[in-house]
Amino acid sequence: MGAKKQAISSVNDLHPVVDTDLHLTEQQDDILPYLEEPFNKILDVNNQGKRGQVEGGYLSQLYPSAGHLTPTDTGRAETDDVRSPEDVERAMELLTLDDAILTPGLNLRLGLVHHDELAAGFMTAYNNWLLDTILDEGYHGAMVVTPQKPEKSAEEIDRLVDESRIKAVMIPGGGVHPPLGREQYFPIYDAAENAGLPVMIHNAATGIVGNYPIQWRGTKRYIEVHVPYHSAEQMWHISTMLTNGIPVRFPDLDFVIQESGIGWIPYFMRRYDNEYSKKQNDAPLLEKRPSDYIRDQFFFTSQPTEGIDDPEYLCHTIRMFDGAENLMFSTDYPHYDFDYTDTLLSSLRTEFDDDEIQNIYGRTASNVFDL
Amino acid sequence: MSGTRKHFVTTVDELDESEHVIVDIEEREIAVFNLEGEYYGLLNYCVHQSGPACEGRLTGEVVEDEDGELSYERDGEFVCCPWHGWEFDIKSGHNLARPDEYRVPTYEIVEEGGDLYVTL
Repeated sequence: MGAKKQAISSVNDLHPVVDTDLHLTEQQDDILPYLEEPFNKILDVNNQGKRGQVEGGYLSQLYPSAGHLTPTDTGRAETDDVRSPEDVERAMELLTLDDAILTPGLNLRLGLVHHDELAAGFMTAYNNWLLDTILDEGYHGAMVVTPQKPEKSAEEIDRLVDESRIKAVMIPGGGVHPPLGREQYFPIYDAAENAGLPVMIHNAATGIVGNYPIQWRGTKRYIEVHVPYHSAEQMWHISTMLTNGIPVRFPDLDFVIQESGIGWIPYFMRRYDNEYSKKQNDAPLLEKRPSDYIRDQFFFTSQPTEGIDDPEYLCHTIRMFDGAENLMFSTDYPHYDFDYTDTLLSSLRTEFDDDEIQNIYGRTASNVFDL
Repeated sequence: MSGTRKHFVTTVDELDESEHVIVDIEEREIAVFNLEGEYYGLLNYCVHQSGPACEGRLTGEVVEDEDGELSYERDGEFVCCPWHGWEFDIKSGHNLARPDEYRVPTYEIVEEGGDLYVTL
């Protein structure tokens, strides 16, 4: 190899910088006005503010939670509000971003909502609030769908197909049952493929109450859950997507796997290939190695990047799944475990050339999300 | 560079116990804490991801004894970076979770005639 180009020394040398996971913090006051019938009537209850003693309103109680004691709950980390165009602008300035895919906050738990029809109502309410309040001011975002109602979700994708500021379809995957490879979700993938939008899968650790209730009962600290949970649930989703041939059935569909770290990615690819050699009849639709489908149609967002104090680990791991092509920078701001913009860069510079770094920080995202 | 210089921070009267101020001195933001009448200086810069380490809440340390009983010790002797909640020992600058790896720079604070000074 020739000498590496070293023109990139800071985030200021990167254009564009695209955050592929910048969260909004929508609350009851945002969502309620957008609820349609019958739920606007059912939930229009003025109970002297006594219904659910929760700051920000009772609505969040309808999104199941595992009750974890987090750094935000103890006030150790202070979470910013991102609910208005001005908030988004401030966050993007703080993070020195050129563009961002805005993702939900409360609605990360949409896949856990116990009332399927209400979940579909929340989906539409969030998407309409997102468009009216945020995206119409010039930003890009992901619409949400509700996995409880795949047909309704497909209709929602069709309804918003001409909204050019919607750049992805997000499935809030936390606690979603059955896993996302199963046949019932095909309408969502079909609609997203037809709309030309990538599908983001973003779990939330509180989803443990949906898919791992036994483990939830058996653990007693947040960290015990948060460490294994995200990548574990992504592996269930992707594992079933491969056996059911989702990338074969929907060859023009890209998937964006979010917020799960990176070390498990090369592990999962090789483990799947290894097992596939012995169990090909479990995934008869596949025409190439499972890891090849992951390389071709799956992308991964970077936060929370483990090992930022260990560049050798980080760079080697990213190489092992062709991350220069498949990894996309993300912050997760304003959540307490967000990665500041230069966090990843300082390690990448020890191994990757300028083109590769630019891919990770924005060029790949520009292609995947058609920015 | 021409050696070090003594910089006025604030007066003892203006810095009550359990309070802190953040001052700009020679392009550095330095937080000065009053812990039970003793004064400590910390750089307002988080060695994790460059956040404002001294702008978060003051906390204590959760300690678990051999019977599994939890207690809250040294209340108010740690400051949390509001970005990610990393906790730093105000007296030493050491990170609570990984003290051997991460430490915020500390500064000696000197009291003279009711005034507080830091030397840089």
